Amino acid sequence: MSDSTSQYAHPEALVSTDWLAAHLNEPDTRIVESNEDVLLYDTGHIPGAVHIDWRQDLQDALVRDYISPEAFAELCAKNGIGRDTTVIFYGDKSNWWSCYALWAFRLFGHTKVKILDGGRDKWVKEGKPLTKEKPKYPATSYPVPAKRFDKEIRAFYEEALAQSQEKKPLIDVRSPGEFKGEVTHMPEYPQEGVLRGGHIPGAKSVPWKTAAKEDATFKSADELRKIYTEGCNLHPGEDIVAYCRIGERSSHTWFVLTYLLGYEKVRNYDGSWTEWGNKVRAPIERSN
Amino acid sequence: MSTGSHEPTDDSPESHYPGKLASIIHLFESLPEEEKRENLIAYSEQAKKHEPKEGETFDLEDVRKDEECTDTVGVFLRLDAEKRAHFRITLGPQVQTLTKAMTSILCKGLDGLPIPEILELPADFVPKIVGGHLVRIRSQTVYYILTRIKSACKVLLNRQRAAEA
Repeated sequence: MSDSTSQYAHPEALVSTDWLAAHLNEPDTRIVESNEDVLLYDTGHIPGAVHIDWRQDLQDALVRDYISPEAFAELCAKNGIGRDTTVIFYGDKSNWWSCYALWAFRLFGHTKVKILDGGRDKWVKEGKPLTKEKPKYPATSYPVPAKRFDKEIRAFYEEALAQSQEKKPLIDVRSPGEFKGEVTHMPEYPQEGVLRGGHIPGAKSVPWKTAAKEDATFKSADELRKIYTEGCNLHPGEDIVAYCRIGERSSHTWFVLTYLLGYEKVRNYDGSWTEWGNKVRAPIERSN
Repeated sequence: MSTGSHEPTDDSPESHYPGKLASIIHLFESLPEEEKRENLIAYSEQAKKHEPKEGETFDLEDVRKDEECTDTVGVFLRLDAEKRAHFRITLGPQVQTLTKAMTSILCKGLDGLPIPEILELPADFVPKIVGGHLVRIRSQTVYYILTRIKSACKVLLNRQRAAEA
């Protein structure tokens, strides 16, 4: 672990590309790739990694929600993930989707989770090995989680509304144009647009990218504290809700606040702007 | 990559698509999901072969970055003496794998067709190639290259009509 990594609140939640390259066959560990590009895993992946798709595997196919505890247990079992397996997530887009998958695993109470710092892009850029061989692991008997931890780490519309009305911290991690209401979707994602633009009243704009370096790794603990603790006046014990468009970019910020800065009560509003901006009579603020 | 041993027959559902494209559709429709993905990957890896070659000239060049795609895409269209269309396509490094695959498939499948035939082509063959499942989960990606090709065809056709008027 490098000196800069050890300054994080939970440095054990990150692994470096060099560490992972030297520990590909670690026992009781499973490497999971989660991407936006649905075929990227098939073009080549870290040896031994399995693929979990944020939409196909983690979301309910019919209702806008996550899979059932039974389906989660089945997903883990077929990927050789046991209750005590440490899952290391990585992916494209600066780890948006891998943070989202990690957050979804936490919803089901799986706490042994880590992120590969820098994600897929850094691994590829460093010329580290990739394979097209899809691993097969013996199925485990993952116990069906007794509950989903929605209350602890997930916010719904009513809770985000209460957060706004009570003037508690709301972090909007979308791009400045989306926050200001100039655009109703992120570039490249027009199908995920909404009817109204703007932000939740009282929300602060802290784009997710503020927390990432150019090589997709996370900024140092000092830099993150300057952004969130000093810049946004956020404190570790506060109730904080982060949101974006569908909950993927805010998962990145949720990871930063929870694991790298050690904030204890951070929730991800995964309904995010695609719910809020379409909801009849939801209050909206616009700013320059 | 599978080469497809069965060609569509006159009464097969693919017979109303142009020949080369019909063969590709037929091949993909015959494949189980896993092999379909393998073939899409194989096609995606061929995308660079469809970039413009040294010394080639074109009747229309349309290079742009749209909201619908993660990176810049350039469509280069050339008409031969018989007014049949030939395409070259450049893709930026951030373009997704499905888009790369559709680039190869369409450059191959539409090669040599007259522009009106390309413009009349319904988009319903796309799910037959990539599978309804991938269309459902990543709908923004799969139609983009076809839209760009048709857009280039339309611009060139309009230019020709204006010149003839």
